[in-house]
Amino acid sequence: MIPSLNVIFPKNLNEALSLLSDNSDSSKIIAGGTDIIPGLNQELNRFKEIKNLIDVNQIPELKGIIRSKEKISIGAAETFSDILQNDTVRELFPLLWKAASGVGSVQIRNRATIAGNFVNNAPCADSVPALLIYNATLEIESLSSKKEISLNEFLSAPYRTKLNRDEIVTKINIPFADKNFTGEFFKLGRRRAVAISRITLALLVDWRDSVINEIRIASGAVTPIGARFFELEKYCSGKKADDQFKKDLSRKLAEQIIKVTGLRWSSEYKLPVVQQVCYQMLKNIESQHEYGI
Amino acid sequence: MSEEFSVVGKKIIREDGVEKVTGRAKFADDYKFPGMLHAVMVRINEAHAKINEIDFSALENEPAVSIVSASDVHGSKKVGMIKNDQPVFCSEKVVTPGDVVAMLVGESESKLRSLLPEIKIDYTPLPVLTDPEKSLNKNSVLIHPETGSNLIVHHPLRKGDVEKGFEESDEILEQTYKTQLIEHAYIEPEAVVAIPLGFSEGIKIIGSIQNPFTARKFVANVLNYPLAKVRVQQAHLGGSFGGKDDTMCILSARAAVAAIKTNRPVKIKYTREESVLESYKRHPYILKYKVGYNLNGKIKAMKIDILADGGAYASMSPFVTWRSVVQASGPYEIENVQTDVRAVYTNNPYTGAMRGFGSPQPIFAQESLMDEIASRLGISPDEIRRINGFKNGSVTATGQILKDHDVNLKKVLDVACGNTDFITKWKSNRDQKIFSLKYDPSNPILKDNQFIDPPENIRKGIGLAVSFRGCSLGAEGIDAASAYLSVQNDGSIYLDCGLAENGQGLRTTYSIIAAEVLGVSAEKIIYLELDTGITPESGPTVASRATLMGGSAVKNAAEILRDRLINLIKEEFKLGGEDVISFRDDLVFSRKKGLITKFTDLCKLAASRGINLSAIGWYKSPKVDWNEENGQGDAYFTYVYGCQIAEVSVNVSTGEVYIDKVTAVHDPGKVINKLGAEGQVYGGVTQGAGYGIFEEVTADNGFIRELNFDTYTIPTSMDIGEIKPVFVEGKENYGPWGAKSLGEPTLELTAAAIANAVSNAVGRRFYSLPLNLEEIILNKKLRPAGTKRGSSL
Amino acid sequence: MKMKVEFKLNGANVSVFAEPNRRLIDLLREEFELTGTKEGCGVGECGACTVLMNGRAVNSCLVLAVQAAGNEITTIEGIANGDLINPLQKNFLEFGAVQCGFCTPGMVLSASALLDKNPDPTEDEIKEAVAGNLCRCTGYKQIIEAVKETARLSRKN
Ligand SMILES: Cc1cc2nc3c(=O)[nH]c(=O)nc-3n(C[C@@H](O)[C@@H](O)[C@H](O)COP(=O)(O)OP(=O)(O)OC[C@H]3O[C@@H](n4cnc5c(N)ncnc54)[C@H](O)[C@@H]3O)c2cc1C
Ligand code: FES
Ligand code: FES
Repeated sequence: MIPSLNVIFPKNLNEALSLLSDNSDSSKIIAGGTDIIPGLNQELNRFKEIKNLIDVNQIPELKGIIRSKEKISIGAAETFSDILQNDTVRELFPLLWKAASGVGSVQIRNRATIAGNFVNNAPCADSVPALLIYNATLEIESLSSKKEISLNEFLSAPYRTKLNRDEIVTKINIPFADKNFTGEFFKLGRRRAVAISRITLALLVDWRDSVINEIRIASGAVTPIGARFFELEKYCSGKKADDQFKKDLSRKLAEQIIKVTGLRWSSEYKLPVVQQVCYQMLKNIESQHEYGI
Repeated sequence: MSEEFSVVGKKIIREDGVEKVTGRAKFADDYKFPGMLHAVMVRINEAHAKINEIDFSALENEPAVSIVSASDVHGSKKVGMIKNDQPVFCSEKVVTPGDVVAMLVGESESKLRSLLPEIKIDYTPLPVLTDPEKSLNKNSVLIHPETGSNLIVHHPLRKGDVEKGFEESDEILEQTYKTQLIEHAYIEPEAVVAIPLGFSEGIKIIGSIQNPFTARKFVANVLNYPLAKVRVQQAHLGGSFGGKDDTMCILSARAAVAAIKTNRPVKIKYTREESVLESYKRHPYILKYKVGYNLNGKIKAMKIDILADGGAYASMSPFVTWRSVVQASGPYEIENVQTDVRAVYTNNPYTGAMRGFGSPQPIFAQESLMDEIASRLGISPDEIRRINGFKNGSVTATGQILKDHDVNLKKVLDVACGNTDFITKWKSNRDQKIFSLKYDPSNPILKDNQFIDPPENIRKGIGLAVSFRGCSLGAEGIDAASAYLSVQNDGSIYLDCGLAENGQGLRTTYSIIAAEVLGVSAEKIIYLELDTGITPESGPTVASRATLMGGSAVKNAAEILRDRLINLIKEEFKLGGEDVISFRDDLVFSRKKGLITKFTDLCKLAASRGINLSAIGWYKSPKVDWNEENGQGDAYFTYVYGCQIAEVSVNVSTGEVYIDKVTAVHDPGKVINKLGAEGQVYGGVTQGAGYGIFEEVTADNGFIRELNFDTYTIPTSMDIGEIKPVFVEGKENYGPWGAKSLGEPTLELTAAAIANAVSNAVGRRFYSLPLNLEEIILNKKLRPAGTKRGSSL
Repeated sequence: MKMKVEFKLNGANVSVFAEPNRRLIDLLREEFELTGTKEGCGVGECGACTVLMNGRAVNSCLVLAVQAAGNEITTIEGIANGDLINPLQKNFLEFGAVQCGFCTPGMVLSASALLDKNPDPTEDEIKEAVAGNLCRCTGYKQIIEAVKETARLSRKN
């Protein structure tokens, strides 16, 4: 049962920020509501203190997808359905597009927003590895401040971020890569649609004459929160990308996951599968690269 | 040449279709009455506990809230389908977390729910028994101490001498199989309203009720009312699959007790979580098979030991397991069979009737076993089944001779194999390179040679399963059904049958049958709402008996009326006694004189002559017999046969199984309702596939982890490729024009066929359902600690 | 405190007062007696509560009633625009896409949102459009056929 509360519909960003700064302890933003409403209904602790919901769906500053010279800016309240209709995302950020296409069902994607997905920061949030791998940054505003930080820095722990209670995420900026990346996004669920992710993996590779120039690796649902593997990425650059390398990298990824996550009830299944999937994704990326796709 | 039909077997639109597709059809929760109250359940968060005291004093300042508990029950305090072991409200102890100790009744459901935490219950936890294999140990806690044992039922079957059979066998194979607990997952959660009608009339119940007559019996017993003072009306039922029987009967009784106490209409409506928590489910089975066979493929002896987890209450366990004992050795003629099926109590969620009813579990085991034997002998899966399968005149494990119908086992097998090019595909898959992916649990890091190169990670497999299934109740109970048919002066027709619609479209089937006999279009027939106050009792809609039993009763009623009309015509139009009158296209013909009159005019005429144009049709099944001691007898009066072939793609690196295609070949006798029959196949196969690859209710100390559809995953539109129904219409002496059963056969085979297909793909056998990600990769199930929901890592 | 909510419901402007913690599904079923909208799970998984919001399918169990303000909501009762049934509904009947009928309203709405924006969907697109609508009875096959046929007929006209 949803407890009794107020819902307020600010018409612009400033109004929303003022509302937040007045009652920051008891107020929370609601966008698509696909995390908050079931959460309130199940009386989850995370949503216990909420007295006011501030609906951001009518705030023009949080809408729109704008392409500029060096980046794409996605309004925080854009839904996954909106994002799927954007050609720039589809062509230049195909991993994000793929991740968005696998979120819930049409009904969920029609409501669920991209900011809501990573602000909620569930381990299985599908947009997170896809945004991390493109080095996305967030524009965050409060009445008194305005800043831009990387998503990687923003995410702190499961269901926790560095967002202050009086702040709103307004935009997600994704820079165009200066590399010749080929990549893949992989999601594994218990069924083919409307599935909670068991494993997500995103890979971007830039090879030059079968030597790794740059590689980026991000995962979800196998680490407490979606994560990049910077150390591993560094280790890879300059390596010859033969099958042995692909196997070594996959194994090292598993070792990193164990380091971050420890061994859980599901590790016995997930660890070998992550290695297989990582290896196969690298093989697929390589063949795409070879054929110039 | 068979009879020619004008309505039967044609595409006919559902009689309730327009209402449903426009959202006007009223389901139980759509009913509202002036002054209606709501009731919410009070539960103890324990799987097994003695109740010391329930303290409602915090509600003293809530005059608008009534408390309803065991002390308000004036009739039977305990109820049950077979044994009365389930309290309407628990007052002494709870035996599973779904148990209800009391209800709060008042105007606002949300207000009532907010009061639940105020109620203080003092209780003493008791030891919790969750392992059915420990259930019969001497020192195990008794779930229902008054029964003296946790044994719910034991069905033995003895045919021939298995020990001698084993001695004569060339080889012996022993295997143990396990199947899981699953949820019916009807999309509509339980809802019911009880409306007090005043002292002389009693009470009316409207609900999402599978079997109104059973609900009536429960309510009458609990209220201590005569049956006639309880009227149960079935609302449109949002799916049931066997699942809206006892649970709904008990909810009806609770609502009725509250309605009598408050003298107001009372509604109970469950959330999905409550529905999964409290409703009964499909039995998990542990099946031990020992089989002896000769090198020529002939099976000599089979010894079967089955343990079913009945959970906290007996429910339908005795009947579910009875079907298992009859069918456990499959559609194979085996000289020596010894089967023991036991159902036991535990503190787990209780289990009862579900589409398939004790057959999907043994079919998974027995069909896996047949494939394994075939592969040991180096013969193909169809070959082993041809060698041992039933034919006309075969003797079953219960000693019954199969006769009076086409024993079409081999026919369905041939058609299925022919349709899918089975042998070729099976052989080429079998000869694929095999990866032995034995992961070392102590070292999760892969070795070089364990990595699989795409596209070799996707493996194709094909597998088949066959079954025979006894129609209707068999020796479980008295089997009869009735129907009411009334032709109006203008030729429009009322029809009603005591077998309740469960959403599968049997009202349409009945309309088709009546329309065929009277030669009118099916739209002429107005189907009446089932109301126990008007409709004659016909037993439950279970065991795929609706077409066979109810359909025969409808046909009988229609024939009674048709014969009256024929007599009238012959008299009125001075036709000879030997003339043949036929009804077709809303017209009436004589063989000699051609067109005689319109059906509508005939009805007008009949009315003016004072002819009774209402009739009750009746059908009683032929006699069956059963010896409890040795499991011998004619268990069912007839059987149906089916073969399904599954084609799958298995991702051997992730464990994903995708079902590319299921070819479902069934002999349901005559197909009456074509759209409905195909719909049964698509729906049944899809449910069977869910059972095969991902559905599972798991519990931790009796507490269910998967309480909603986020974690209890049933198939979506994207999970199954193609389903192809094929009907082989065998000859049958019983049933309307020989129509038998289809609803359950469609479901029971799918998981077994998939398991065989997956084995064909990966070169390894599986012994435990479902074949989920972990099972495929590790050959075992993994569970999180506790009952935490969501995406725990 | 109740809030005033004004929105367009099945083509008509409506105005009601609703508690902010009330869900759209409850408002539709209880206030407007539009009981064709069903609740199967309450958590966004089953799609029985699907309605159209500005032409897009949404789960009304995950929308607050007050969030309907200023939007256009269409329920199953409004999908035929005043006719008894529309061609999509007719094909649901013709193809046997309805069994128990509990999922049907949501299914029809999801499919009609698809056809509105994509008059020539592939089979995979149809499957994806109704993937958020669970059906336990039909196995989806006849539903998919009904949607296909509706698209085919409407292209012909
Ligand atoms: C049936 C179902 C299936 C799902 N399937 C998937 C899936 O496959 N993959 C997946 O990743 N997720 C899935 N989800 C979860 C997904 O819908 C959400 O994570 C969604 O993206 C959250 O967005 P929202 O707009 O609905 O957030 P809300 O519920 O409105 O908010 C979520 C959180 O974000 C905060 N927030 C929202 N916008 C802002 C902002 N601009 N600035 C600051 N804080 C903000 C809110 O205060 C709240 O804490 C599923 C959910 C459901 C119900
Ligand atoms: S009730 Fe809304 S999605 Fe199930
Ligand atoms: S028709 Fe019953 S759930 Fe779809």
